[in-house]
Amino acid sequence: MKKVSISFTLNGDKVTAEVPPSWTLLNTLREYFELTGPKEGCGAGECGACTVIVDGKAVNSCIYPIPEIEGKSVTTIEGIAGKDGTLHPLQKAFIENNGVQCGFCTSGMIMAAKALLDHNPDPTEDEIRTDIAGNLCRCTGYVQIVESIEKAGEMIRQEK
Amino acid sequence: MVDYDYKKPKSLKKVFGLLKEYGPKATLIAGGTDVMINITNRELSPEILISLQGLKDLCYIRKNNGYHIGALTTHRMLEQSDMVRAELSALHDAASQVGSVQIRNVATVGGNICNAAPSADTAGPLLALDAAVILEGPNGRRRIPIADFFTGPSETVRKGNEVLIEFDIPEEPGRFGSAYWKHSRRKAMDLPLLGIAVGLTLSESQEISDARIGLTVAAPVPIRAHKAEEFLKGKRLDDDVLAEAGKIASSEASPRDSLRGKAWYRREMIEVFVPRMAKLAVERIRSE
Amino acid sequence: MSNLLHVGKGTPRTIEIDKVTGRAIYINDLKLPGGMLYGKILYSNYAHARIKRIDASKAEGLPGVRAVLTGHNIPDVRVGFLKDQTVLKKDVVRQFRDEVAAVAAISPEIAEDALDLIEVEYEELPAVFDPIEAMKEDAPLIHEVDARGKPIRTNILPLPWKFYAGDIEQGRKNSAYIVKDTVSTTWVNQCCMGTSGCVAEFHMNNDLTFHSQTNVVFLAKQRVMEYLSSIGMRGTNVRVVNPVVGGSFGTKLDTDIYEFICILLALRTRKPVKILFSREEEFRALPPRQPAVFTIEQGCDKEGRLTFRKAEAILDNGAYTSWGATTPSVMVMPMSSLYRVPNVSFEATCVYTNNIYCQAMRGYGNPQATFAVESSMDTLAEEAGIDPAEFRLINRNQSGDLTPMRLKITSCGLEDCINSVKQKLNWSEKRGKRKGKGVGMGSLIHVAGGARVYKSDGHGMIVKVDQNGHIDVLDSGTDQGQGSPTIISQMVAETLGFRPEDVSLTLGDTGLCLWDAGTHASRHTFMAGNAAVRACEKVKQQILELAVENIPKVVKSGFRSKKRKDPDFVEPDLDYTLISKPEYLDIRDRMVFPKSDPEHPFFRVEVSQIIRDALHVGTGESKVVMAEAFYDPPTEMLDREMKGNLSCTYAFGTTGVEVEVDEKTGEVKILQLFAAHDVGKAINPILVKGQIYGAAYIGVGYGLTEEMKLENGRVMNPNFLDYKMLTAKDVVPVEPIVIEPGDEDGPFGAKGIGEPGLVPTAPAIANAIYDAIGVRIKSLPITPEKILEALKEKRE
Repeated sequence: MKKVSISFTLNGDKVTAEVPPSWTLLNTLREYFELTGPKEGCGAGECGACTVIVDGKAVNSCIYPIPEIEGKSVTTIEGIAGKDGTLHPLQKAFIENNGVQCGFCTSGMIMAAKALLDHNPDPTEDEIRTDIAGNLCRCTGYVQIVESIEKAGEMIRQEK
Repeated sequence: MVDYDYKKPKSLKKVFGLLKEYGPKATLIAGGTDVMINITNRELSPEILISLQGLKDLCYIRKNNGYHIGALTTHRMLEQSDMVRAELSALHDAASQVGSVQIRNVATVGGNICNAAPSADTAGPLLALDAAVILEGPNGRRRIPIADFFTGPSETVRKGNEVLIEFDIPEEPGRFGSAYWKHSRRKAMDLPLLGIAVGLTLSESQEISDARIGLTVAAPVPIRAHKAEEFLKGKRLDDDVLAEAGKIASSEASPRDSLRGKAWYRREMIEVFVPRMAKLAVERIRSE
Repeated sequence: MSNLLHVGKGTPRTIEIDKVTGRAIYINDLKLPGGMLYGKILYSNYAHARIKRIDASKAEGLPGVRAVLTGHNIPDVRVGFLKDQTVLKKDVVRQFRDEVAAVAAISPEIAEDALDLIEVEYEELPAVFDPIEAMKEDAPLIHEVDARGKPIRTNILPLPWKFYAGDIEQGRKNSAYIVKDTVSTTWVNQCCMGTSGCVAEFHMNNDLTFHSQTNVVFLAKQRVMEYLSSIGMRGTNVRVVNPVVGGSFGTKLDTDIYEFICILLALRTRKPVKILFSREEEFRALPPRQPAVFTIEQGCDKEGRLTFRKAEAILDNGAYTSWGATTPSVMVMPMSSLYRVPNVSFEATCVYTNNIYCQAMRGYGNPQATFAVESSMDTLAEEAGIDPAEFRLINRNQSGDLTPMRLKITSCGLEDCINSVKQKLNWSEKRGKRKGKGVGMGSLIHVAGGARVYKSDGHGMIVKVDQNGHIDVLDSGTDQGQGSPTIISQMVAETLGFRPEDVSLTLGDTGLCLWDAGTHASRHTFMAGNAAVRACEKVKQQILELAVENIPKVVKSGFRSKKRKDPDFVEPDLDYTLISKPEYLDIRDRMVFPKSDPEHPFFRVEVSQIIRDALHVGTGESKVVMAEAFYDPPTEMLDREMKGNLSCTYAFGTTGVEVEVDEKTGEVKILQLFAAHDVGKAINPILVKGQIYGAAYIGVGYGLTEEMKLENGRVMNPNFLDYKMLTAKDVVPVEPIVIEPGDEDGPFGAKGIGEPGLVPTAPAIANAIYDAIGVRIKSLPITPEKILEALKEKRE
């Protein structure tokens, strides 16, 4: 298979991937960069387990063609904690408020929530639910996920 | 094994050149939320994807002698536009409910309409708003009223070497309001069982001076309910009138039984929601 | 109980921090060195057909392919609960998802391409998709011979479930009111967010390491060893290890065909092989929840006391047999023991068809049966002119009851559950208005203190404390996300006198852990908790015995150092009798201290110090601190009459719902949902609520939106778009009510909660809809179409 060279910013680092142009962003992150945080839950953009942030927007990386990422900035779950290991408020909140159970949806869920909180650190419950509606979860019934995101928002507002 | 090349030309001229070069081996891709899935489930097996994302100037929402929406405008942009929410409300209703935020961030309204699923959320509103589609090919442009754009499920009048570049929506004189109802089993991540879009203009004396009703998943293509529209013109808004309009619209539809729902249910929902959306459209006119 | 430091607190799940950093390794992420291969499975294109020819030669020749298996090149050995299927089918396919061939290749894409190259020629056979049709004499036979080669002449399984207690006829005679009805439930998918998959690796000495998501690691090991033995590899040692598991909900209690396929591919190639289901496979090929059709008849006397309950169930068993066929062994619990009912008859018939076969799903037959019982309870209450909540209170289970199934009811919070739901819903005011809004409720009984399904219902725990004061726990159970590591660490910390963050856990490893019947039947908290408490008590005793020996030595050696530095130092005159026996000491917050003087200036010593001193003695008598416990509760298996106290204690709960029905569209909106659950004691209230929320959501989906649509045996909605699992935007306002009456057998009084949260949700919704609009929908899911059709029928 022919490969192409795609350069972009990944979790703050400038990187280049040499991958077939038919690969998706998810393939590239998991196979080329060995970042297994974003998961394949359906491969069709229907569950959100693969959610990452591209140029500030949450996207389903399983249906995102890798050539389109050229020059853009990608953030995955592996890139949100501080370099010194300090957890991002979302990570902390999910642990403290039982927003994570089996954890399979968690990477995508946290990224969808982060995309929201980065733009709007004080969302209403309806705004939270709208922005995570594309992230399916079978374990939690979403209640404690919403609570975790609200608590994270509080933490973020207090930091400012 | 899925294997294709990917090119991202920076001009329409280059797009046409590539389309000519590759012919049926090429597929155009915008946001990719439909194309990528069709490739995975083997409905499409292109040798090359020609991305339209390089045509950066096709992404806009403008008001200037009517409304002009570039084909590469994402559903999210429509959702976040105050102007679209206030003045093209049915389109806003539809765009805001497509899939999920992740999908809306990437999926373009042009791509969605070219994909021409009978269930496309924005199709009904575009009908109710009397939109026109601008296609551009190597031989020039043509303007197609949206009502004439769809020819069958997943089929449109767009030729293989044409690109949809813009949606034009006329600015309505007078007091106009619109609304769209997506009838689905879930509140997100769903296709509509039925879509009802209503655009109404009220006269000074509170009569309906103009009405347009767009129905989706009610026929092989998105349709206008012309008889119901005619019935409404000149009438005052009351429950009986609206109920009758709903019945007429329902009789104009030809829904079928499908995995996602039964025809009888779709017909009944047309009767229920044409009145409800008409009322919402009027509420929006009155609250301006 | 009121002095608990850690149990009963909302301890955060810090122990699972990898799940929020992307570092947790699920089966999807597992990559073994040594040239791991990827396996893919070819499924049949027909619901019922004879295989005339399989030609895999082109697939074998594809570059990158390392093995192609068909029924012709693997041992012809039967597997499964009734041994009614082979791993790969070579003569007949009996359902659409029958496994016909399998490929291992160097990439999943090449493996998929290879599947396309396998040629299979079928000769279609007449098929049957309805169990009633399948029971008829002239129905096509799904199986022609059984596991022993004996001819089979019927599609009815040789698994006649029959339960009889008391005298139904007498019950009828004693009844002032009787109702009879038929209700049905259909297939729903477990929808684990992590799809099925496994990795198998044979070592050079033929030992197998099997990375499986199974909840029953020891039973899986046994099944795999039996299989290997049957194919000529007796004595192969198998180690079953869990990766982090992306949800289970019942999918991981049987050893599925894909697991045997993976092992065969690993054996054939002598390389690690990974099989991972796509989401489509997860819908098409994973056995879903067992559907059932119930006919149920109940009666009560003038005072509203239940006189009898008679039910028959027909189960569409699909083409082969997994745990779906054993759901009647759990259905008998609500049938015989939900509410006090003296005379009970329950019969269940499982029938082969060419549909997909079924396995366990959260509740294991209880949701289906409770839908039948609780729908009928409301109908009977109406017939008798008694308010449904009152009716349930009249017949409520109570502590000390012995049910017709011989279940011994010890702790029982059912009365509190019903009353709290009644009160929260404002029941008396809202009930009976019929203006489009209504309230309804349903209750449940479920095992909550283990479940003696197998001869041993034991659970083993190993606990060790090291010289740094760190505690390692080897828990024989498994984790599917419910939070077991956190609550075990709380119980360990509480018993030993440490903090939860001092505890590390290993679960799901047959090589390290003792034995466990499995993390199923909502038993893990109860079983692991009891085993942990027992093991920790032994460990604590060891520590205290060492403390008795070592504290005086530590103290006196300290004084000697002081004396050396300062000759004027006078050794204090201490009362060493305070620490002369283990029973005089206690441990709290990592410190040993005398009970009689907790703040003693010299006798408070860190546990780690004591352990270090016991280890580094320099004389050949050093000691380590560890203990194990194997807890098997005093329960019994069900006998031939399906009777026996199979659990140590039982969970009770009531779900109450207020709905609003749009009579024009048939849509149901849930305005309030209260889920009251008797959990004995909430080890971690936040985690308990999490279980209740999650289960309630699945219950609402079961009641209103979820169904697998099968047409002539084919799954027509094998994706998340058309399978309507609820999203975050489908708001269901769930309020859990945690009832804690305690339990004499549970660790710190705790009982199970994993499944109960789901069980009564659907019938509560159905009952509320009846209250709102006067129509009873008797089949799940309750779709808008069904409601409109029922309203039309009512008007006519």
